[in-house]
Amino acid sequence: MRPILLSGHERSLNQIKFNRDGDLLFSVAKDKIVCAWWSANGERLGTYNGHQGAIWTVDVSPNTVLLATGSADNTVRLWNVKSGECVKVWDFPTAVKRVEFSPDGSRLLAVTEKRMGFLGTIAVLDIAYGNGQGGNLEAQAEEPTLKITCTEAKATVAGWSYLGKFIIAGHEDGSVSQYDSKTGDQVENVQAHEFDHQINDIQFSADRTYFITASKDKTAKLMSTRNLAILKTYVSDTPLNSATITPKKEYVILGGGQAAMDVTTTSARQGKFEARFYHKIFEDEIGRVRGHFGPLNTVGVHPKGTAYASGGEDGYVRVHHFDKPYFDFLYEVEREQLKR
Amino acid sequence: MSRPANRADWADDEEFDDPSALPPQQVTTNKDGTKTVVSYRFNDDGKKVKVTRRIKTTVVREQVNPQVAERRSWDKFGLEKGHAAGPSFDTTSVGENIAFRPSVNWKVQAAEEEKAGGEKGSMKDQLKDKKVKCRICSGEHFTARCPFKDTMAPIDEPTAGGDAGAEEPAAGGLGATSGSYVPPHLRKGAAAGGEKMAGKYEKDDLATLRVTNVSELAEEQELRDLFERFGRVTRVFLARDRETQRAKGFAFISFADRDDAARACDKMDGFGYRHLILRVEFAKRS
Repeated sequence: MRPILLSGHERSLNQIKFNRDGDLLFSVAKDKIVCAWWSANGERLGTYNGHQGAIWTVDVSPNTVLLATGSADNTVRLWNVKSGECVKVWDFPTAVKRVEFSPDGSRLLAVTEKRMGFLGTIAVLDIAYGNGQGGNLEAQAEEPTLKITCTEAKATVAGWSYLGKFIIAGHEDGSVSQYDSKTGDQVENVQAHEFDHQINDIQFSADRTYFITASKDKTAKLMSTRNLAILKTYVSDTPLNSATITPKKEYVILGGGQAAMDVTTTSARQGKFEARFYHKIFEDEIGRVRGHFGPLNTVGVHPKGTAYASGGEDGYVRVHHFDKPYFDFLYEVEREQLKR
Repeated sequence: MSRPANRADWADDEEFDDPSALPPQQVTTNKDGTKTVVSYRFNDDGKKVKVTRRIKTTVVREQVNPQVAERRSWDKFGLEKGHAAGPSFDTTSVGENIAFRPSVNWKVQAAEEEKAGGEKGSMKDQLKDKKVKCRICSGEHFTARCPFKDTMAPIDEPTAGGDAGAEEPAAGGLGATSGSYVPPHLRKGAAAGGEKMAGKYEKDDLATLRVTNVSELAEEQELRDLFERFGRVTRVFLARDRETQRAKGFAFISFADRDDAARACDKMDGFGYRHLILRVEFAKRS
């Protein structure tokens, strides 16, 4: 496979996201712009300009009408995907590290940083879609409808469960917790990863019944959304920044590498700047894809499972469209199963 | 360079018979449905360059949902506002091809590769069954530790270490044969040191076989299978005709190990493959 290199950013990537149809790819980096790309050929559709600081996170609504971004300038901005205009700005006391639309697109969660005396919070905002033709998108609620305050360890990442029933959050101390998305009460809290090893990413399966966490403790875990049971553990040899579950084939993709500060002291070969593919069920590593010059900060997979993209500390997004060996690969037991 | 050529400026005198005018672009349609486009342009040095491109157009039809189709017609915005459709070169490029084939024993394969590629592993192998031998008394100790060091001169036996053979003393000691100075790169056995510069390409070359009289219908995978029995094959190159994609009749096979290559050369020379008799020899360095 020939990767497509997207070099629209001048600084390290923070998050990339495919939309639900997989035709668009959004990327945010430490520079102040958001880029939208056609995933098929790597053409840049446009940029969303307006943020004043590094952008930590991006998410696109399920119908690809609105785009939300969270930034170090303490705002969450909502954009019109089609025109690139900013339609709404919400101010927060601290930086916003993660935003995500609920599965139906009617709500947006924003994870705020713990800093300057403010505790880390998860705020939930109601989202309206104007008149349905892309007009009047500016009419949005001013205040969050719900605010969950993390008193013990701040949340670093969060996402919505199936049907938007729970909010699943990953914490600084390596624990994962489940909040009721109506009341904001903590339902469960599990120390999924080693204590004090931050969870860097949470990504859900297509039906949101399970999710994968990536942590600094060099492991990724597949967990059930309902009861936070740990289903699978993928062990790697480097701190992980991101992990994703591939549709169509039963794999997971992990991205990581040394912390950015240690990178200059190691060669690219040792730095382990590779996307790692593990088999979702058997937990074996089945291959790696090289290419980045720095750690992978984020990986995302096409919702149809035909491509994946990775964003690195080196400022590049690499989009890979899978070719035949990827789809053909089967374990011996799987093959036997098929024969029957 | 695209300035109007008919301007009669005195400075332009020498260009008067118009070398700056470019021949028009020619487009010819080939039999196999491809197009050949011959165009001319000036390069950075102002020289005229002929560019021949062969273009094959394939139409891929894809069913997408109406929303996706509608999105394809969106205009560009932000920094891309007003730019033409299609990827632009400053943001989008295509990387090197990556061979990604998942496999169960990926780790083992990777380790093997590491071993072949890394200098460390092979050096260790080389030195594995090497014994220390004194140059003075041939005892099992370093020459410097020899009890007869001060009383005896080195034996006039050229070997010092096991496998390096006769070349050893020249590399270590200065040329004992004549009194004149021999620069390091001319000393016998010093070639190994110099070769390091070229890195693995050089090494690669040593274990590459040239196979001729290969059938037109040969496939790279088949050749790989044929040669893989003798050891790890790192590269198979089968020359093909650009037009017909048929094999041209020769191929290069690189082995990870020279010994394997030698064995393969021995065994496969004269091997009947696809009704032709293969001729296998070591590739000459060009």
